[in-house]
Amino acid sequence: MNLRFYLLRRIALIIPTLIGLSILTFSIARLVPGDPVGLAAGPQATEEIKEALRREFGFDQPLPIQYVTYMTGLFRGDWGESLYTRRDVLGDLRTFWPATLELTTVAVIIATLLGVPAGVISAMYRNRMPDHVARVLSLFFVSFPAFWLAMIFQTWFGRDLGMFPINKRLPVLVAPPATTTGLFLIDSLIQLDFETFLVSLKHIFIPSLVLSFSAFASITRITRASMVEALEKDFVRMERAIGIPYRVIIFKYVLRNAFIATITVISLNFGWLMAGAILIETIFDWPGLGLYAVHASLSLDFQPIMGIAILYGIVFSIVNILTDIVYGILDPRIRYG
Amino acid sequence: MLMADLLNIEDLHLEFHTYDGVAKVLAGVDLRMQRGDVLGLVGETGCGKSMTALSVPRLIPMPPGKITQGRVTFAGEDILSKSESEMETFRASHLGMIFQDPVTNLNPLFTIREQLVDSVLYQQARGQKVPGRWKGFMPSVRQLRAEAHERAVELMRLTGIPDGDKRIFEYPHQFSGGMRQRVLIAMALAGDPDLLIADEPTTALDVTIQAQILRLIRSLVKQLGLTVLLITHNLGVVARSCERVAVMYSGRVVEESPVRELFKNPKHPYTRGLINAVPQKDVSRGGLIGIPGMIPNLIDPPAGCRFHPRCEQVMDVCRRQVPGATPVGAEHKASCFLYPEDA
Repeated sequence: MNLRFYLLRRIALIIPTLIGLSILTFSIARLVPGDPVGLAAGPQATEEIKEALRREFGFDQPLPIQYVTYMTGLFRGDWGESLYTRRDVLGDLRTFWPATLELTTVAVIIATLLGVPAGVISAMYRNRMPDHVARVLSLFFVSFPAFWLAMIFQTWFGRDLGMFPINKRLPVLVAPPATTTGLFLIDSLIQLDFETFLVSLKHIFIPSLVLSFSAFASITRITRASMVEALEKDFVRMERAIGIPYRVIIFKYVLRNAFIATITVISLNFGWLMAGAILIETIFDWPGLGLYAVHASLSLDFQPIMGIAILYGIVFSIVNILTDIVYGILDPRIRYG
Repeated sequence: MLMADLLNIEDLHLEFHTYDGVAKVLAGVDLRMQRGDVLGLVGETGCGKSMTALSVPRLIPMPPGKITQGRVTFAGEDILSKSESEMETFRASHLGMIFQDPVTNLNPLFTIREQLVDSVLYQQARGQKVPGRWKGFMPSVRQLRAEAHERAVELMRLTGIPDGDKRIFEYPHQFSGGMRQRVLIAMALAGDPDLLIADEPTTALDVTIQAQILRLIRSLVKQLGLTVLLITHNLGVVARSCERVAVMYSGRVVEESPVRELFKNPKHPYTRGLINAVPQKDVSRGGLIGIPGMIPNLIDPPAGCRFHPRCEQVMDVCRRQVPGATPVGAEHKASCFLYPEDA
C-alpha cells in the first residue's frame, strides 16, 4: 500500500533485470561468429594491428573477465567506445537518443489521442457503420508497410501540398534550442522560443504520424474490445436503470474500466515503436538512435550494441513501472506490495 | 379501481431472435399497479418475470429482443413510444431499480461517493444538464455538489449503512455484500422514485442478510410510501414482503391475488404446484414435491395454455385455446379453464 516503498523496490529491481539483460546481450554479441576487430580494422590490416586492437579493447581476455570489466565501467559511467568512430558510447547515446525518444513519444501520443476515441466510437456503434469504418481503417493501417506510407506522405504533404517539411528535425538554418533534455519540443518551450517549437512540431508531425499508425490500430482494437466487454457489465444496466445518461456512463464509468487494458497496450507499443523507429528514421533522415543501432549491429561494434541494449532495458523498466502506477490510479483494487 | 394506475402493462408480447429461432419470451403479460402497491412477481427461472420488469425502464436489449404487441403505460404516459433520450429523463425522474448481484452492479473503480452523488445529481436534474465535477471551481457548482453529498450521506443513513459520512469515501470492494445492496438501494432511491423495481434483490445474499434487506425494503415502504415491484422466485420472500402477488408461467401472468388469499386459496394448478413444492419443516411428509415435467421451450411453446403438458387437471380446451384472466374471488384472478368466465 505504501507507494513510496513500492516505487523504491521496483526501481531497485531494475538492477537485477539489467544484469540479466547484459549477460544475455553480452553473450549473444560475443558468441556470434565473425570477428569484430577484423571487420573494424579492414581487410588490409596486418595481424599485429589486429592484435593491438584486440588488446586495447580487452578481447584477448577470457569472456567472464571481459564482462566484469565492462560492467564495472558501466556503473562508473564509462560505457566504452566504438571500435570504428572511437567515440564515447554514452556521448553518442546522449546525442542520438533524444531524437528517437521524442519521435516515439509523439507517435504514442498521437496513436492514443486517435485510437482511444476511435475504439470508443467503435464499441458504441458496434456492428454498425462507424464500427466498420474504424475496423477497416485500423486493419488498413496495421497492414500497410510503414515505409511505403511514409514515402506516400512525404510526396503528398511535403512535395505536392508543401504543408510539411519532408526530413530532419529542424531546417538547416535554424539552430536547435539550448539542450536541456535534448527533446526539441520541450527545450524550445523551456526557452520560450515558440517559433522553434512550431517549426520542430511541423518537422516531427509526419514521421510520428506514420510511426503511430500500427500503434493506432492496436490501441483502437483493444479499446473497442475492452469497451464492448465493459458495456456488458451489470453496473452499466444499473446505471442506466436509475437514469444516469448514457453519455456519462460511457465516458466516465465505462471508459475507465476499459482503459486498464488500453494502458497495457500503450506501454507495449511505446517499446515496439522505439525499436521500430529505424525505418521511419531512415526515410525522414531523422538523426535518431535507429540508424546508429543498425550500423552497430551490422558491424558487430560491441560497445554500442551493449550500450543500446542497456539503455532500452532501462527505458522498458521505467515504462513498466509507470504503467503499474497508472494501473493503481485507475483501479483501487490493485494494491502495491 | 377509481385510482388511476401507476403502471399498466397490457398484453405485452416480447420475442427474442436467436440462432435457434424466435423465442416467445412474453406472450401477453397483463399487470397493473397502483401508487403504494407492493406487488410480488413470482415464477420459475425463464418465465419472463425479469423481462417484464425490464420492459418498464425499457432496458431489454433490442435487437435481439422485439416487442411485437402490447402497451406499457406509466401514470398515463406511453413508454414504448418514447425516444431514447426521453427514456433517460423518464428513468431518472420516476424509476429506481435494484438487481440481483450487489457485487457486479456497483462500479468497482469509483468511490461510493462518486456513484451516489451522480445518482442524486442526475435523478434530481430529471434530464436537465448536470455540470461536471471539473467545474467545481464555480461556487454554484460546488454548492450543488455539496448538497448532493449531504443527500448521499442522508441516503446511506436511510438505508442503514453505519458511518455513512466516512464510508462514503470508500470503494465498493471495501463493503460487504449486504452493505453493497444497501448502497444500490440508496442509489435507486436518490431521486424519490415513483416506482422501485427490485429484481431478485436477495437471491445472491446470505440468508441472514436476505432477511435484513427485506426488512429494510419493508421499512422503506412504510417510511416513504414506496411503490415496489418485487421480483423473486422465492414464495417466502413474497409472503413476508408483499401485499399482492402475481404468478407468472412461461410468459404470462397466470394468477393474481392478495398474498394471504393466494396462499390460503390458490386457484391455478401451477400456483398450487408451486405452493406444494415449498419445503416444509415437517419431514415426515416425505421429501420434496415437484411439478412434473420441464419448463416449456420458448421457441416452440405448447399450443393453448402453455402449462397444459404439466397440468394434472388438463382438459381438451386447454390444448387449443389460451385461457383469459377470470375473477375467482375478491381481487383474485386466474387464467385457467377450470374457472369459466360465467361462473
